Amino acid sequence: MLDQSELIRYNRQLIIPDFGEDGQSKLKGSHVVIVGVGGLGCASATYLTAAGVGHITIVDFDTVELTDLNRQILYWEEDIGKKKVEVAQRKLSRLNPLIQITPVFAKITEKNAPSLISGAQVVVDGLDNSASRLVVNSACVEHKIPYIYGGVSRLRGMITTIIPGQTPCLACLSPEGAGGLGVLGVTPAVIANLQALEAIKILTGRSPSLAGRLLLFNGDDMKFRVREIARNESCPVCSRYYSKKKRGKAN
Amino acid sequence: MPGFSELLIVVNPTREVTREGMLSIVMPWLYAPWPDAKEKGIIETEIEGGTLRALLTGLSARYRQANVDLELINPGTNDLDFDYDVLVNGKNYVALAGGLDAKLKADDTVKVRILWRWDG
Repeated sequence: MLDQSELIRYNRQLIIPDFGEDGQSKLKGSHVVIVGVGGLGCASATYLTAAGVGHITIVDFDTVELTDLNRQILYWEEDIGKKKVEVAQRKLSRLNPLIQITPVFAKITEKNAPSLISGAQVVVDGLDNSASRLVVNSACVEHKIPYIYGGVSRLRGMITTIIPGQTPCLACLSPEGAGGLGVLGVTPAVIANLQALEAIKILTGRSPSLAGRLLLFNGDDMKFRVREIARNESCPVCSRYYSKKKRGKAN
Repeated sequence: MPGFSELLIVVNPTREVTREGMLSIVMPWLYAPWPDAKEKGIIETEIEGGTLRALLTGLSARYRQANVDLELINPGTNDLDFDYDVLVNGKNYVALAGGLDAKLKADDTVKVRILWRWDG
């Protein structure tokens, strides 16, 4: 049930056919975890906050540096040296005081990942390295929580939506490539907003468009290429859960 | 596990490009997405000039006919596009004498792989 203030605040999305109060109420009752509040996480957190996701947990272990300011739009010069999650929590709460923002100052590890993502309907990727992403991927597969991978470098970006039990997971694809290649500030904003859109679709009961598909954004030629991807039957992460399911069916 | 998301090309005297050896194809669009190649597991192609560049350019043209926009050579830089990496016999193409213009010979193995994005 939405109150008068919410009806006004979210009016522009409430009037969208097939979204309406039902969709908004679903967002209000949702919990999203954003792992990493850098270039990607700042943008996805901002739009999910504005959209009215009821509870957002933001996880990061870093402090704000001057080199972050070309793309991490929640941080300003006055925030340099402060914990990102605290600055982000403060600003996001000012943008939308009707929702709950939980800051967690922690580095995601195999040990803490399950507890950090616990209770989330969706995990949104805002990380900046492959190792942490594969940790989050494993935890999400194990706990059956949709995980929206997003990554960028320079003017390029990628997204796929991982639905455990249905789509390939990140480990299925043996992803390779280096990090630290530079990022034009707007690139993570493009990718993160598409991640946020995928999250909203899942939260409101729509089919995510990038489940089992890999979107490649090329800012150099301004092309979006979408490719089908398939499960690796011998994936070290997700195949055991599929096997269990198959065994269960056989029994 | 290598090979799952790569296009493996073996250059041989009959000018065949193969996708043999793949246990599981996780990027079906990359693996010769047209009927005869899918069926045989082989793309038959001719490499004009016999260079790596010619192979990649030829492949892009062939994929385009199958409505797959696989632009391996960036038209702006005339170099390998930033979304891909190419290994010839396990060695990155930049380490080859001639780079993309290196001549290919029989039994050379060329791997095309997609580079993932990890920054944030």
